[in-house]
Amino acid sequence: MRRKALPLLLMLTLLLALTACGGSGKSEGQSNSGDTDQQGSKGKEVTLTYAMWDSTQAKSLRTLLDEFEDKNPGIKVNVEVTGWSDYWTMLEAGATGGSLPDVFWMHSNEIYRYASNGMLLDLTDKISSSNQVDVSKYPDGLVKIYNYEGKQYAVPKDFDTIGLWYNKTMFDAAGLSYPDETWTWDDLYNAAKTLTKDGTYGILAPLHNQEGYYNFVYQNGGTIITDDKKSGYDDPKTIEALEFYIKLIHEGLSPEVYGDGGRAEMVQNGVAAMGFFGSWNLSGFTDNEAMAENFDVAVLPKQERQASIYNGLGNAVAFNTKHPEEAWKLVEYLGSKEGQDRQAELGIAISAYEGSADLWLSSNKTYNIKAFVDMVQYGVIRPYSNSTAVWEDKAYEALKPAFMGETTVEEAAKNAAKIMNESLAEEK
Amino acid sequence: MERVLQSKASRRIRNEWYWAWFFIAPTIIGLVVLNIIPIFQTVYMSFFKSGDFGKSNVFIGFDNYIKMFSDAQVWHAVANTLLYTLLVVPVSIALAMLLAVLLNGKIRGKSLYRTIYFIPMVAAPAAVTMVWKWLYNTQFGLINYGLGQLGLPAVNWVNNPNVAMISIAIIGIWSVIGYNMVLLLAGLQEIPRDYYEASEIDGAGKWRQFFVITLPLVTPTLFFVLVTSMIQSMQVFDVIYMMIDVTNPAYENTVSLVYLFYNNSFKYSNKGYGSAIVMLLLVIIMIITVFQMKAQKKWVNYM
Repeated sequence: MRRKALPLLLMLTLLLALTACGGSGKSEGQSNSGDTDQQGSKGKEVTLTYAMWDSTQAKSLRTLLDEFEDKNPGIKVNVEVTGWSDYWTMLEAGATGGSLPDVFWMHSNEIYRYASNGMLLDLTDKISSSNQVDVSKYPDGLVKIYNYEGKQYAVPKDFDTIGLWYNKTMFDAAGLSYPDETWTWDDLYNAAKTLTKDGTYGILAPLHNQEGYYNFVYQNGGTIITDDKKSGYDDPKTIEALEFYIKLIHEGLSPEVYGDGGRAEMVQNGVAAMGFFGSWNLSGFTDNEAMAENFDVAVLPKQERQASIYNGLGNAVAFNTKHPEEAWKLVEYLGSKEGQDRQAELGIAISAYEGSADLWLSSNKTYNIKAFVDMVQYGVIRPYSNSTAVWEDKAYEALKPAFMGETTVEEAAKNAAKIMNESLAEEK
Repeated sequence: MERVLQSKASRRIRNEWYWAWFFIAPTIIGLVVLNIIPIFQTVYMSFFKSGDFGKSNVFIGFDNYIKMFSDAQVWHAVANTLLYTLLVVPVSIALAMLLAVLLNGKIRGKSLYRTIYFIPMVAAPAAVTMVWKWLYNTQFGLINYGLGQLGLPAVNWVNNPNVAMISIAIIGIWSVIGYNMVLLLAGLQEIPRDYYEASEIDGAGKWRQFFVITLPLVTPTLFFVLVTSMIQSMQVFDVIYMMIDVTNPAYENTVSLVYLFYNNSFKYSNKGYGSAIVMLLLVIIMIITVFQMKAQKKWVNYM
């Protein structure tokens, strides 16, 4: 008898364990309110999860979070870093399965999906009743990104712009003056031509939107997406900008570079004398000895107008967090003048709060990082709509043949416009 | 008396049944939870236009499939997947067979070699690809440096649409050889030594021994290796995902079905369409496998 009972018993426990695993997801959501009450009254320690995608920022951000923890006894913050592309897979799985991190970074590409599906905690009331966070102190464009149907779903954290990085040593050798805010496309083109010698290229013109042709499109008065959500790729001004940009490759002033593939290594190793890189590369570039020695950064050149693509992250709270009060405290601190000032001083990122960015300038002595802040006044928010991730990739696929020299730029751009419009039409 | 014996016997049989089920339970439960149920969910999903975060899916019948059949990229992916399989499977099995035969002989340090060949299988594919990516680097890669030393022109291993698939296949072959080799080695060791001794007396040389004894008798293992590595190759993803992104000129020539499924399901959050793509892959694998099962009667010798 006993011998028969044993396996059955074991099987039963196994099944129970399995069903328990499956059920835990649901019960978590239901016991939300009960948990916070308990924890609040007992004064137990609350641990918040804070998810982000940038491991270099995460290191210096820890200092800021330690300060937050000191000021708020009883709240601990656990940082979870996942690389950019896996971050969104992770977050989506978390959102679907009801296990989002308490606080996490938001991006213009994804905010619509999360906000419109109720995955984020509405922070409107919390912001209006807070004496620390004042959204009017942030650039309007950044605040607007995280506003969906009149409700604010994230507090801006920082902003980034794109700079023109140039190799001083190579410029000196060629007897050229360094780029500055007076530079036009002609200056850029001529410098690239002078700097191109056998084995080295004057410039890098990668198939990359934010750190590449988007900037040129807006400098030329073109657009990527119109106000009524139509593609701007067939705008003559856009095509003109793309033609200039791609000409750099076809005339041999730039190597053919696609996406992120080894771009940074190319400038670091002296293969190219100039390159466009976002401000988020700063700490990596500062750590690189060859780069710190030879390189500096300037504002982007202008054509019809000055322009640099800029974007900013936001701190958002999960709709179903077990600790909404504590999570808000963290977001509030990170978005307050104090938090923003500290973020700038520590050199974590360019703080978006009015005036905080000036503190950031002293965080790095290696490069002329003022260029990044100067560009905000004429910065253009990175083009986005409700399905940015889809049409950005489709546009890449459509533009690729032009970069490879297989089709004309105009043909490729018109094709990109067509595909992008199809994708935008599906958004509704 | 007889009756007592009978019931005793049947009770024992029943008891054995319980134990049998108990022992296979972990596998069965895993199979059902991780494989069988998801397959049906995928089939179900492929008839929907998926909403975000698993909410508000809209039933659209066969629309995903209709879209798929007119999507040129899907057919490129089918061709790429088949090409990859065609490049990887024969070469990797041939090389694995060669190594297995060599390591089955009397060489010193046999187990060391076995370990060395098996290591790629243990290493994480993502890490392996990172290393290969650097080896392949056009400007600074070790391979192009070597070619340069030999006076040969540099090859654009990753970005050239005509070369990229070969670069990927090389990584695929390199990663899978060790695993196939160990399986084949086990098969070789099951062949009784008597056959070799007998054939030696009859005056057969090494080559003849290999083709007349070794090869026919290792066919059951060879068949297993063939089927599994075919299926594995059809599902290629991580190497291509790590090496080729959507801006790469070789994307159209290398994107595999699983990569396309990943992009559509997770990057473009169109899970319904992704599911339809994966169903296509399932059907293709099933057809190939059925064909192999039928064909095995012609060439596999079970001792």
